[in-house]
Amino acid sequence: MSATERYNRQILHWGQERQQKLESATVLVAGVGGLGATVSQLLTRAGIGKLYLVDDGLVNWSDLNRQLLYHETDIGLPKLAIAKQRLQQINSSVKIELRPKRIDRSFQSPTNVSIIADCLDNYPSRFDLEAGLVAGSFLIHGGIEGDQGQVLTLQKGKSQSLADIFTGIRKPQGEIPVTGAGAAILAGFMVNELFNTIFEQPQLLNRFLIIGLSDLHLTFLEV
Amino acid sequence: MVKIQFYSLLRMLLKQEKLELPPCEDENVEQLLQRLQQQITIPFIHKLLNEKGEMFPGTIIMINRRNIHHLEKLETRIHDGDVIALFPPGAGG
Repeated sequence: MSATERYNRQILHWGQERQQKLESATVLVAGVGGLGATVSQLLTRAGIGKLYLVDDGLVNWSDLNRQLLYHETDIGLPKLAIAKQRLQQINSSVKIELRPKRIDRSFQSPTNVSIIADCLDNYPSRFDLEAGLVAGSFLIHGGIEGDQGQVLTLQKGKSQSLADIFTGIRKPQGEIPVTGAGAAILAGFMVNELFNTIFEQPQLLNRFLIIGLSDLHLTFLEV
Repeated sequence: MVKIQFYSLLRMLLKQEKLELPPCEDENVEQLLQRLQQQITIPFIHKLLNEKGEMFPGTIIMINRRNIHHLEKLETRIHDGDVIALFPPGAGG
């Protein structure tokens, strides 16, 4: 099996040059849950060069409705170890490094990472993630709640910061409602923007794409 | 005119994405929201402010792309041509 055979259908779409860019790219996925499990899987299937995965969670029953990498037999096990195993079964050519830790103020991004997927589920960790990024890095933020979600790309040092944009926002009390379809759709939009960014043509730089799943609306908000 | 844009759950609640109002002299964000509520029959202000008139932490209010927390919060003055965005973002991941 050649790489051309494996990636034939997407090379028909974006061409060999972009495929090579993808295979040379490194992405850090922060949070391997509802968004991150699908984001990392789609990047792996597409043939991303290298992934860093950051998460400290264990697989719970309440994850299985939307976190597509995990099975019933994984309950209680560390997400990262399972995620790496499944991703390598999908595509063994992708290099995967694990960072089994919670993102807090001590977080520092590896210096070779310039594209980061924010798949986290709370604002303080998102702000700590952003603070630990290398200047010039592209942060692709995703968030979902019920049937609403958003994707936004920021460039550290050039864009407003995520912390500035979301000042005053707190996570709602209790668990956040999320469906499998909603998480998969938002993750799909995030990966599409990750590809655009790898291809040096981000489409959501400094503007939110806001997605309403009930009435199927898409709107933009410049920031 | 002052343009007010509704996003996400507010857009669904109000069944519209934007509204334009003529500017009022010396009006601030809170006063604009109260005036907006008078224009819209569907109650929405309780989603943004509590009974004391304080902001709930679930919605971003932006004026010309700036979160009002970096301006003068609810006391920020509104001017002709301003674009105000009301956006309750999704928090989960």
